[in-house]
Amino acid sequence: MSKLKFIVLFFVIYSGFLSMSGQDRYMLAPVPKLVIEKDGLPQKPTLQQQQTVSVYDYAHMLTDAERKKLQEKISKYNDSTSTQIVIATIKKLNDDISLYATEWAHKWGIGQKNKGNGIFILISRDDHKITIRTGYGVEHLLTDALSRRIIERDIIPYFKQGKFYEGLNAALDTIQKILSGEFTNDTSDSESWPFWAVFLFIFFMIIIIALVFGNSSGSSGSSSGGGPIIYTSSGSSSSWGSSSGSSSFGGGFSGGFGGGGFGGGGATGSW
Amino acid sequence: MKKLLTALAPFLAIAFLLYVTVGRYYNNAIVYQEDAKTAWSKVESAYQRRADLIPNLVNTVKGYAKHEKETLEAVIKARAAATQTKIDPTNITPEQLAQFQQAQQGLSGALSRLLVTVEKYPELKADKHFLELQSQLEGTENRIKVERDRFNDAVNVYNIHIKKFPGRLFAGLFGFKEMARFSSEKGAEKAPKVEF
Repeated sequence: MSKLKFIVLFFVIYSGFLSMSGQDRYMLAPVPKLVIEKDGLPQKPTLQQQQTVSVYDYAHMLTDAERKKLQEKISKYNDSTSTQIVIATIKKLNDDISLYATEWAHKWGIGQKNKGNGIFILISRDDHKITIRTGYGVEHLLTDALSRRIIERDIIPYFKQGKFYEGLNAALDTIQKILSGEFTNDTSDSESWPFWAVFLFIFFMIIIIALVFGNSSGSSGSSSGGGPIIYTSSGSSSSWGSSSGSSSFGGGFSGGFGGGGFGGGGATGSW
Repeated sequence: MKKLLTALAPFLAIAFLLYVTVGRYYNNAIVYQEDAKTAWSKVESAYQRRADLIPNLVNTVKGYAKHEKETLEAVIKARAAATQTKIDPTNITPEQLAQFQQAQQGLSGALSRLLVTVEKYPELKADKHFLELQSQLEGTENRIKVERDRFNDAVNVYNIHIKKFPGRLFAGLFGFKEMARFSSEKGAEKAPKVEF
């Protein structure tokens, strides 16, 4: 009877916790101010901004709700594949948009450093131009020809009608389809402790627990006490910390930009 | 013995300081030199990428425009000339680089003439394969520009390092030579401006 009560209580608290974290996920961080630095390129966002924003709508082409939806899609995709997609809109650009966007993405370091799996989409509103820039590691999948096709088939038809969200949303879907299965998210593994360190840590924890609880009477105490402690300690060191960060921030990349490089691949079109 | 040591101490200290300074200078020069070489290899691979696209492009155009033999042959010749001009990355001299740049520009010219002729063939322009090649070519031209700029930047860092005051004294000693850079094309220096 009391056990049943306990289970019910547990679920009530747990579901409350879930809905709370769900609400956090829906919080939309503002787009940071566009600051052009000496090199002529926008300032790299702070880590917190990188974690909360992936659509830098400087030219106000999207509503908050639209930006939120795009960011959720991008963020979710990053969680499962570590591939980072960033969208930016600017009002006007007095330069070759392909080269400018390449240097912009290279400076910000979009994508993981060792994988080069970053994609940058830049829209120049008053020039009616859009460019897709591909990082070194995705060039062979999202080729220049495919980037061009995405622009011509997914983006331009919508953009011509002023439907910017729909165009970008369709482009994201196609990009994710093209890249599907190529990258997996093992960044949290590589950043956390090596396997042997976790193993040693758990091993010593077991010994300490065994020493502490071994002297006191109950044998059931040692097993029920030992289990959860090991579970939470190993969990908090890696996965729990990073995943809780990403869900409460939302919209960006939990680890920030990874330092991926861009070499000029991609395509540009105008509507 | 003790006296001798105290007398030598300042000299030893100076020798040590000199050793550290020169060592740091030398190591940095090596790092910058390697960076520039890496940047060069990326320049080369971007040009190679373009050369690799050309046989396909020529074949596709041939299918539609048989009468453009001359233009097509010019492209093939220019490609051969461009791929034959190689540079020793350990010793990039201005003459070598100028030669390389000239050969590549010859290919650029032949290619753009080919793309102008294509305008006469609407069926070719609509060919799916041709359109894909065209966008790959555009992307590759972009890559070339990007990697050239980065190479120039890397060489700049290296050259400044070996020409600045203390470095100047040691550069000759270790045989560090100034590296050549790409001469810029028209309009490349303009700083971009974003409005917001």
